[in-house]
Amino acid sequence: MVNVVNFEEEFKERDASLPRETEIIIENLSVNFPDKDGGEPIVALSNVNLEIKQGEFISLLGPSGCGKTTLLRTIADLQEKSSGTISVRGLSPREIRLQKKYGIVFQSPVLYEWRSVRRNVCMPMELLGMPKKDRTKRVTKMLELVGLMEFGEKYPHELSGGMQQRVNIARALAIRPEILLMDEPFSALDEFTKEKLHEDLLRIWQRTNKTILFVTHNIQEAVFLSDRVVVLSPHPGRVSAIVDIDLPRPRPIQMKETQEFNALVSKVRNSFEGV
Amino acid sequence: MKKKRYLRWDKQSATTVLYPVIFGILLLILWQTQLLHKLLGADTFALPLPGRILRIIFDNGPTIIENIKATVMVAVGGLFFGSILGYLLGIIATVFPKWGAGGLSIASAISAVPIIAIAPILNNLTKDFSDVANVRSMFAKTIVVTITCTAAMSINAYRGLNELKPYSLDLMKSYAASKLTVFLKLRIPNSVPYIFVALRVSVPASIISALVSEYFAEFIIGVGRQIRENIVLAQYATAWAYIVVACAIGIIMYGILLAAEGALLKGRK
Repeated sequence: MVNVVNFEEEFKERDASLPRETEIIIENLSVNFPDKDGGEPIVALSNVNLEIKQGEFISLLGPSGCGKTTLLRTIADLQEKSSGTISVRGLSPREIRLQKKYGIVFQSPVLYEWRSVRRNVCMPMELLGMPKKDRTKRVTKMLELVGLMEFGEKYPHELSGGMQQRVNIARALAIRPEILLMDEPFSALDEFTKEKLHEDLLRIWQRTNKTILFVTHNIQEAVFLSDRVVVLSPHPGRVSAIVDIDLPRPRPIQMKETQEFNALVSKVRNSFEGV
Repeated sequence: MKKKRYLRWDKQSATTVLYPVIFGILLLILWQTQLLHKLLGADTFALPLPGRILRIIFDNGPTIIENIKATVMVAVGGLFFGSILGYLLGIIATVFPKWGAGGLSIASAISAVPIIAIAPILNNLTKDFSDVANVRSMFAKTIVVTITCTAAMSINAYRGLNELKPYSLDLMKSYAASKLTVFLKLRIPNSVPYIFVALRVSVPASIISALVSEYFAEFIIGVGRQIRENIVLAQYATAWAYIVVACAIGIIMYGILLAAEGALLKGRK
């Protein structure tokens, strides 16, 4: 059964002094896609090694074809790996998926157009068989978290792209996942909406203490949001660098104009190989 | 806040209704004043005046209603069974994807066989169904309509159950949803607009196939059959009365469909 939501516990501020435990360990991971014409398989990811700590904000950054989405999907157990190991809290990705510990935010909002905003956010909780009373409370809380309180009864097509993506995030957080996987969630949005959502996402992350894996092809975005940026290079997809982002938090938008920020952006940019 | 968008009366919907109505009235005026007859080289015997046709409809009210009942029963019955059967075929094709798409092309091929060819065959096949001629005729006619409606629904249902938004299956998978849950929460709701696409085809088709199958039925009843009988007897005015009735049935049933669609799909784009 699903635990009754304890908001106080869930939304406690993160305590930076606590040591963080390693949550995801990826060793020698490779993913190949079979060639459709029967030729050599395409190597999407080759020999990836990565350790992610609980509560970390990690960006997977790279150009198209570098396998960043494939890496995310493999961790999410939506994609089969070819070799290597992934261990999440000592379990396999499949076990974690079946325990419903993942919240996934896809590139497009994937809202069901026949459901109102409230009922979209409610959907995963229905799948988990959560009692109706708890669902209603939880939906209200989630809409509050993403700032869509007044839009609960609207239908997806009545919302802007940015609002739809907020609903997407609210839905992903609804079942209290331990790990939030985000696949280029803001790439289709305009710059203003994107900046607003960056701030919101950091605030939500700060409040919920989730581990976030964030796929993006935008260097500034990755640097601004993350604790660490995993730089992936294509042909074959591989990790070419992991850059620590030691900018202080909370990070205001103005931070993007500082020298430290731009130094990190250049550092990340220079760590790509063969692009 | 909630707008009834299916009843919204804007400029565009006004003109889409207004122009056909104006055209219809113009035609009726030409017809009643016999200008139409001069244009077509027809006489008032083969093409009776609208006033006379209307009078026949009112004078023969009970008989006409009896025939309408028979036709509507066949059309609605066949539409009902055909649509359910078609939807089930769509589900089966989705559950067994390897055979699914191919099986459905066969279903649509069968539906391409003309009603004129199917109707007499079915009359023959169902001759032992009942001792009462009316009952076995109704049965045969309903099957013809059922076949017509099955194909349209099965193909559209299959599309509705399978043409899902990108990532929506991944989303379901990420919540470890069972196949049944995917059907109930995703595929079936996704297919609702496609059901109406099918019905927009099969509602008019059900009436046409009901009318045509009546031509070949053993028992003489139904609007379609009356058109034929009265033409054979050279009672053109009465035949025209039934043609008008047939049109009215079609328009009313389509109107009901559109109203239902507007009410059920109001939350969607």
